[in-house]
Amino acid sequence: MYLTLENITKQYDGKTAVHDLSLSVPKGVIYGMIGPNGAGKTTTIRMIMNITAPDSGRILLDGREVDGTFRDRVGYLPEERGLYKKMTLREVMKYLADLKGYPSKKSNQAIGPWLERMGLKDYEFKKVEELSKGMAQKLQFITTILHEPEIVILDEIFSGLDPINIEVVKDVLLELKRKGTTILFSTHVMEQAEKLCDHICMISRGHKVLDGRIADIKTQFGRNSVQMSFEGDGHFVKTLPGVKQVLEFNNYVELQLTGDVPPHEILKTAVERLKVSRFEVMSPSLYDIFIEQAKVDPAELEHVKGGHHA
Amino acid sequence: MRKFWVILQREYAQLVHKKSFLFLTLLTPVVMVAFMFLPAYLMQKGTTSTEKYAVIDLDGNGLGRQFTDGMAGYKLSDSSTASFHLDTLVEIPIVETARYQTAYDTLVQAIRDRRLTYLFVIRPDAYLADSNMLLVTNSDNVRDINRFEYQIGQVLSRHRVEVSQISIPIDSIMALTRSVDLPRQDTKGESISPEIKFMVGTILMMLIYMLVLINGQAMMQTVIDEKSARIMEVLVSSATPFQIMAGKILGTGLAALTQVAIWIAGGAALAAYASSTGTQLDSSITRTVFNPATVICFAAFLILGYLLFTTIFAFIGSLVNSPKEAQPLLMPVIFVLFVPAMMIGFAVLESPDAKWIRVMSFVPTYTPLVMMMRVAVLAPTFEGNPLLSPIMFEAVLGMIGIIIALLIAVWITAKVFRVGILMYGKRPTLPEILRWVRHK
Repeated sequence: MYLTLENITKQYDGKTAVHDLSLSVPKGVIYGMIGPNGAGKTTTIRMIMNITAPDSGRILLDGREVDGTFRDRVGYLPEERGLYKKMTLREVMKYLADLKGYPSKKSNQAIGPWLERMGLKDYEFKKVEELSKGMAQKLQFITTILHEPEIVILDEIFSGLDPINIEVVKDVLLELKRKGTTILFSTHVMEQAEKLCDHICMISRGHKVLDGRIADIKTQFGRNSVQMSFEGDGHFVKTLPGVKQVLEFNNYVELQLTGDVPPHEILKTAVERLKVSRFEVMSPSLYDIFIEQAKVDPAELEHVKGGHHA
Repeated sequence: MRKFWVILQREYAQLVHKKSFLFLTLLTPVVMVAFMFLPAYLMQKGTTSTEKYAVIDLDGNGLGRQFTDGMAGYKLSDSSTASFHLDTLVEIPIVETARYQTAYDTLVQAIRDRRLTYLFVIRPDAYLADSNMLLVTNSDNVRDINRFEYQIGQVLSRHRVEVSQISIPIDSIMALTRSVDLPRQDTKGESISPEIKFMVGTILMMLIYMLVLINGQAMMQTVIDEKSARIMEVLVSSATPFQIMAGKILGTGLAALTQVAIWIAGGAALAAYASSTGTQLDSSITRTVFNPATVICFAAFLILGYLLFTTIFAFIGSLVNSPKEAQPLLMPVIFVLFVPAMMIGFAVLESPDAKWIRVMSFVPTYTPLVMMMRVAVLAPTFEGNPLLSPIMFEAVLGMIGIIIALLIAVWITAKVFRVGILMYGKRPTLPEILRWVRHK
C-alpha cells in the first residue's frame, strides 16, 4: 500500500470530525473519498497534507510517517481556491512550481502546453483577476499538477467546474493515472465519483462506512435486482424460485432476488415462456449503497445523489 | 531554506514592482526635507512683499523719527528693496487730543481696508513703561513684530541714557552693554549645536518610524490578501508556515532596505555634487550623521525594529479577514507600542540621560526610536572611539533586548500564524489564541 491512514481521529471543540479512520490508497489508482458535506473529508485531507495534525493515529507514505519532503511530491487542490489576482498566469504557475522545487527549465517548458490544453493560452501574460471563475478553476487545477507530483490530492474536485471542464479534468486525471500518478480526491457528487474511481472510501459523520475497489463493492452489494422487458403474460415470474419481490408494469418488471438462485437461471425460465426483449442485472448505485450502509435518511442527502453542486 | 528564498523573492518583487513603492521612495525624502527645513526656511525668508506702516508719535522727543530710521535698515531677500515702507509719520503734541483721535481712527481704518499693515503709537514717556506704546495690526508675522520690538528697544535705550544725563557717549554705552552670544564647545573641542543633534536624531527616528509602519503594514496586507483570496492553503501545502512567515517578513524587509539604499545612494550623489560645486556641507551636520555609533545604531535599530514590528503585524494579519477588521487590533499596537516612543524621543534633547528616559529606552518596542535619539545626541560628544562610548554600550544592551523580544514574538506568532492563516470567517477570541500558543 502506498498511502495509509491508521486509526486517525480528530476533534474540534469537542466535536469529532474524524473518528478512527483507516484507509489505504494503492499506488497508481484513482481513489475517491465520498460522503456528504461535513462528513470529515476535508479534515482528513488536511491531515494527510500535514496542515492539521490528527489527535491520534498515523499517516504513512510508503510505510514511513509523512514528513516535510512529502510537500514536494504532492499536488494539492484545496476546497477553498484562490490565486494571486495581481500576478500573470505564467507568473503564478512558475511561482507555485518553484515552491515545489520543480526545476525552472522544466516548468518554463511545461507552462505553455498546459495553458494551450486548457484553452488559456491567450491569457498567459494576463493577470489572474481577468479570468472568469471557470477559467480560474482550470488554472488552479494546472498549478496543482504542473510539477509532476507523484500523488495528486483534490478536495471537492468537481466544485466550480462546468460539465465540459469536468470532462477536461477527467481526461487529464486518466492520463496521469496511466503515467503512474496516484490520485486521491474527495467529492460529495457520487455519480461523478462512480465513473472515475478505481477505489472508493465512503465517509459519513466522521466514520468510514466502507471502502475498497469499486468493482468489488458492486459485486458485494449488487446483482440482487433485475429489470426485464418482454411480451406475453409475465405474471408467473412472481412464483419463480429465488424471486423475493416483484414490481409489475405493463411488459416490464423489476425483480428483487433472494440471491440464492443466479439471475441467468431466472432468465432461462423466462425465455422459455416469454418473448424477452431486455434482461438486465442491475448494479446498485454508490448512492444506494451509501444510503443502505450509512443508515442515513435519504432526505438529508438529496443534493448528493447526482449532478453537480457548486 | 530554498522555499524561504522563493517566497522572499516573490514578496520582494511584488512590493518593489508596485507603483506605490516608487512613489514612496521618491516622496519620502521630499517630505522629510520639507518637514525639517521648510518652516525654518520660511521663517528665514519671510515675506516677499514690503509692508506699510504708520507711526503716531505723541512723545515729542523725536523717538518716532529715530525708530523709522532704524526700520529703514531692513531689506527683503533681494537686499535692495526695503522690508518696511513708512506710510505716515504723525507727530502730535499730546494736548491736541482731537487731532490724535482723528489720525488714529483714520489709520486704524486704513489697516481694516488693508492699505496699511502696522500702526505704531508712541505715547508720552514711552521710555518709562512699555504700556505707553501700542502696536495695532491684524498681522501675525512674528518676525516683523520682533523687529518692531528690537528697533524701539534700541531707540528707548538711547533715550534712557540721554535722560539719565550720564556723561559717557551713548554709543559707548550701547557697545558696553551689548548682549552676549556665548561660544561653547564640548570637552572634545567641538561645537555642535544641540539643535543640529536634535534635528539629525529626529530625522533618523522619523525614518525608522515611517519605514517600519509603512512596510510592516504592507506585509500585513499581503497576509490578509492571501487569506481572503484563499491562497494560504495552497502555500501551506508547499511550504511550512514558518517559511512563509519568514519569507514574507524578510522579503518586505529587503524592500525597505532597498528604499534606504536608494536614499543613501541619492544622498551620497547629492553630497558629491555639492562638493564638486564647492558647496560645503555644514560640518557639524556631517559630524553628527556620520558618527560611526550613529550609523551602526541606525542600521541596527531600523532592521531590528522592523523585524519586531512586522512580526507583530504578521500576528495581527493572521487573525483577521480584512483590513477593516485589522484596524481595532492595529490601533492599540501603534498607540501603545509605537507612538509613545516618538514622544519620549522628543524629550531626549532636554535630558538624554534622565532616569525615566533611560528606562524607557530599554522597553524593546521603544528602543529603536528612543535609543536612536539618545545615540544621535550623546555619541558625537564622546571623546575617543564612539563605538566604545557608554551610550553605545547601552544601545547594544537595547539591541539584545529587542532580539529577545523578537524571539518571543516570533515564537508566539509562528504558532498563531499556523492556525490563524487557515481560519476564515470568525475572528478568534483571546482564549482561542492562547490555546494555539500553548499547543505543542
